Amino acid sequence: MPALQAKTQGARIIPGLHGLRICFFVSDVYYFKERKKPTLVMFLAAFTSRSPREVSPDATLLSRLLQKDVSAFEQLYDRHSRLVYGLVLRILQHASTSEEVVQDVFLQLWRNAAQYDESRGPFVPWLCTMARNRALDHLRLKSERQRRREDLPEELPSIAVAPEYEKALDDQRRAERVRALVAALNPQQKRAIELAYFEGLSHSEIAATLKEPLGTVKSWIRNGLLRLKEGLQATT
Amino acid sequence: MNNCDQFRELLEAYALGALDPEERAALEAHLATGCHDCARSVEEARWLVCQLAYTAPEATPSDMLKGRLMQTVRAEAQSHAEAKPQALPAKRYVPVWMWGLAAAMIVFMIVVTRNVRHLQDETREAEHLNAELMEGNHKLEKELAETKREAMIMMDPKSVKIMMPANGKQGAQLEAKWNAQLGVLVMGDKIPMPAPHHVLQLWLIPKDPKAKPMPSMMTWPDADGKFILLVSNPPDSMGNTKALAITEEPEGGSPGPTTTPIYVGGVS
Repeated sequence: MPALQAKTQGARIIPGLHGLRICFFVSDVYYFKERKKPTLVMFLAAFTSRSPREVSPDATLLSRLLQKDVSAFEQLYDRHSRLVYGLVLRILQHASTSEEVVQDVFLQLWRNAAQYDESRGPFVPWLCTMARNRALDHLRLKSERQRRREDLPEELPSIAVAPEYEKALDDQRRAERVRALVAALNPQQKRAIELAYFEGLSHSEIAATLKEPLGTVKSWIRNGLLRLKEGLQATT
Repeated sequence: MNNCDQFRELLEAYALGALDPEERAALEAHLATGCHDCARSVEEARWLVCQLAYTAPEATPSDMLKGRLMQTVRAEAQSHAEAKPQALPAKRYVPVWMWGLAAAMIVFMIVVTRNVRHLQDETREAEHLNAELMEGNHKLEKELAETKREAMIMMDPKSVKIMMPANGKQGAQLEAKWNAQLGVLVMGDKIPMPAPHHVLQLWLIPKDPKAKPMPSMMTWPDADGKFILLVSNPPDSMGNTKALAITEEPEGGSPGPTTTPIYVGGVS
């Protein structure tokens, strides 16, 4: 089943064409086997058999975004604004500044949709990375000169498509799973990871904040992340 | 690989952005060497770090934020749509003049090809005409040269006159003039035509009784019975020749006389 999913995943960008191709293939096979003309039923069967998870809704919306489709943008905003705003608010702890950052993030998505490329990783992690980077920039950089630099579209690093855990769960179920796994971590591991992720602190800054040895902080962070990884892999 | 093991411990912290500057610089230097395994592990670690976003409590932004965003987006979409139609007709317009140009070129090529062929035909005709003219000219020159030689033989006092009466026929007779340098000229008036497909051929009868008559030129009298035969290079000299004779021979001549000579004249 994962192999089939991986195969159909490749055609996500052009779901219409893909569906049509399957439809013609099925009707052709039917025609030659039964020596009958393909019926409308075959066409409908080919379309309805396509399960909703085969084509990522985000990929469809993103391809429409390239055509400057306003309703596609609205749907993407409705799907992800709560996650993005929650993340930015958790980092900045200030509602109106957070809304400013979220506005920047979504406007960049609208204006530079072509910049998002599936080969650079799945969409939600990409969007969250962009939001976190911008929020941390706000947190760290106070000078106007450095703020202006942020207006330029940024080049984000590649994020791996992790097939097993990416597709095993939908967004909602994965969010619940991640929260449960992090909540189950040793409180010190959890605290160290949160300081790094939401406050953008480095190993030595965390060690100073927690008044703990550097080596201890390093292993808390690494072991905590590895446990989260194992937990997500176990869900496949 | 030992080298990689040393960096492996840093990959998660690197993806999290928690490495201190020295360690980050060392890992980035290693990644810059093109280590495929580590690069892939970093991408996986980034994905893992991204999952931490879910641990932030979800929050709903104000409706005003959405309102502001949608207003901006609609305005930009409209200006994008207005910019588009200008591009479309231009796109459609290009093929039209391209087709026109292509058609014009095809017509031009046809016209040129036809003209070239016409010119070639004319050139060929002109060449043909020229060749004919040249041939005619050559013939005239040759005739002129012959006439000149005939006149010279006639006028030259050194030419020897040889009377060639017809054998048994009254009236008609030929007269030959032999010039050692210019050749033999045989002339006559009211000479009867030979039988169809026959010619009158000149023979040189040698003084040596054992030698056979030597064949020479042949011709016909014209419609008025005028007969002129010029031999520029006779096969033998005057000294060795006893007589000149003319016989009627089949068209194309014969190596030896097949009929009794009609005209005979002794060389004195």
